[in-house]
Amino acid sequence: MKTFTRIAVAATLGAVMGTTAMAEGLYTPNLAYRTGPFAATGIPLMNGQADYMSMLNARDGGIGGVMIDFDECETGYSTEKGVECYEKTKGKAIVTQPWSTGITLQVLPKSNVDEIPILAPGYGFSPMADGKVFQWAFNTPLSYWDGASIILKYLEEQGDLSGKKIAFLHLDHPFGKEPLPYLEKKAEAQGFELVPIPVGLKEMQNQSAQWLQIRRERPDYVIMWGWGAMNAGAITEAVKTKFPMENMLGVWWAGHDADLKIVGEDGKGYKSVSWSFPNPDAPVMADVKQHVIDAGKSQTNEEEMQGVFYSRGLVISAILAEGIAVAQEHAGKAEISPADLRWGLENLNFTEERLEELGMTGMVPPFSTSCSNHTGHSGGWILEWDGSKFVKASDLIMPDSEVISELETASAQEYADANAPWPVNEDCEM
Amino acid sequence: MLNDIFIKPFVDMFSAPDFLLQVLWEGLVSGILYALIALGFVLIFRSSRIFNFAQGIMVVFAALTLVGLHAMGVPAWICVLLTLAVMFGLAVTIERVVLRPLVGQPDIILFMATIGITLFLIGLGEIIFGGENKVMITEELGIPTDSVVFEPWGGLLILEQKDITAVVVAALLVVALLAFLNKTRMGRAIRALGDDHQAALSVGISLQQIWVLVWFIAGIIALVTGIAWGARAGVSFALEVIAYKALPVLMLGGLESITGAIVGGLMIGMLEKLFEIYWGQPLLGGNTETWFAFVLALIVLLFRPQGLFGERIIERV
Repeated sequence: MKTFTRIAVAATLGAVMGTTAMAEGLYTPNLAYRTGPFAATGIPLMNGQADYMSMLNARDGGIGGVMIDFDECETGYSTEKGVECYEKTKGKAIVTQPWSTGITLQVLPKSNVDEIPILAPGYGFSPMADGKVFQWAFNTPLSYWDGASIILKYLEEQGDLSGKKIAFLHLDHPFGKEPLPYLEKKAEAQGFELVPIPVGLKEMQNQSAQWLQIRRERPDYVIMWGWGAMNAGAITEAVKTKFPMENMLGVWWAGHDADLKIVGEDGKGYKSVSWSFPNPDAPVMADVKQHVIDAGKSQTNEEEMQGVFYSRGLVISAILAEGIAVAQEHAGKAEISPADLRWGLENLNFTEERLEELGMTGMVPPFSTSCSNHTGHSGGWILEWDGSKFVKASDLIMPDSEVISELETASAQEYADANAPWPVNEDCEM
Repeated sequence: MLNDIFIKPFVDMFSAPDFLLQVLWEGLVSGILYALIALGFVLIFRSSRIFNFAQGIMVVFAALTLVGLHAMGVPAWICVLLTLAVMFGLAVTIERVVLRPLVGQPDIILFMATIGITLFLIGLGEIIFGGENKVMITEELGIPTDSVVFEPWGGLLILEQKDITAVVVAALLVVALLAFLNKTRMGRAIRALGDDHQAALSVGISLQQIWVLVWFIAGIIALVTGIAWGARAGVSFALEVIAYKALPVLMLGGLESITGAIVGGLMIGMLEKLFEIYWGQPLLGGNTETWFAFVLALIVLLFRPQGLFGERIIERV
């Protein structure tokens, strides 16, 4: 009886505390990966995300007068743990931030049932751009196909790609394979040879075989789709094999300051496409410093704050915060539902003026979304490692929207057919 | 197809012998590092019949301690000594807190305990040092970082000086270890425990002392391995997964054989590289290193269940 009473009291307390937590604000969980082999990439991103939300809570009292309950569920970048985190948080979450293409693919079908938006900025499944098919998924402001397209456009600026050989060094994981359909299509159309070179999860720190293949194949360029420990492994091997660094370009997750610091000057010339860029003079940075860093509410440090990934974390949370603000205005209430947030994320309009209002000028290119366009296709910059930090090496380059749009529609339809019956937003005009 | 399997790879090898040498060198470097990790497993297994699942995380923990101390302004060689002291403290703690209370329990319980040690060290390491990738203090330790370039047969062979150092240091460590095990009283005590627990205890060999000693030696091996791998691609928790490459080495060489760990490591390092470059990449799309070593070890186990150098156990019923 005594035990039963204890259980009943605990259950009642739990229920009360749960209700209190719900009333505390808008619950926006982040499926973080601060541990495991990918932690080096994850930590600055997660810090940036958390700090931006903490800054809004401290400076503005949240968004629209309601506090943001920003919580992390640790996945270690494991798909299984990510799905567990999704199930654990979905009860009161207004958004899911899955933080891995593998987890995104797993929760994608669930989003139609649970009706919670998936926000995957700069990652996930590229056809998610088709909002008519993927009603609940958003990969603003650029998809992986956009990223691959921007890299190819940049390379074309350096010279005709016809007859050239491009090695595609990628993590042997859904994330790494994601741009392959686009690259294969472009290789056929533009007449360059694509050599895919997979890197297994256990081989990330020992890529000598992959780089021996690169030495044998003698590619003109290496495009790297790396994440976490793979980046440092690839860059050190590139230096070791004396591959010309100026001919090596990575996706935005392979443009992390800490990875390049391992090789320092030897990495000079390495490039990475990016849809975000640090602006230490931006007003938002001063606000984060004042309200979060100096207040001792952050896990970051001065050095990390200057980096590309921390800045990107801030931008990612700003996208979510803007979606919430737009949704609140549209719904006419502060306590919005996941469905309201979906509307907000479908009506983002990051103009230059809005970015200035947010104090984020130059930190992300302008972009807007709609019910049919869940990506925004903002365009990106090519960043170059100068031996100590990343600097901009190009103006804003827009992706090849004609080819990508065609591929997105076809792939989205293929996905919907393979997962039939798949609900489609018939009200949305393409 | 038959041409691609049986003829072309060998033609490629002989038409570009400099490249073949480079492949063999890279395999040798990987192999010697696999062998070092396997040695840590073997030492502990020989003396206590414990399959130490924590060997991989010990590599990470030792390397993180080294670079963490240096980041606090401690001179490099003092960091090495302090890291050794930390690894000794870890050995004493593991023996006192984890192993001693479990004496006499089935092997599987002790194996599970080492999984617990792994999870604890992951958490402790992340709390103390954070999960970021860190730069190994290669130059501060006096390890040369340039390359030596040869042009055999008019080709190109690049040897990294830090890889050469890793091979030399690993070889010296193995020689020292063999001398210790064969020529010293404590070394013979470790071997005696491995041969017959009860008999060793009956002649006064202290189980506790030997366990502390072998875990400390495994800690030294972990530090050397951590420096060598860390110098290649930085120090992060991703290093832990490399320890799984020691599993097929143990299957191949035998769980109890030091010679087996060394020969098995070198065989796997070189064969997986040769297979990947000449068969895996052209015929199977690459990334065969993730499974090749396991398949090779399984084939060996079909014919020699005790591994190439393991002891054949005959139980009469």
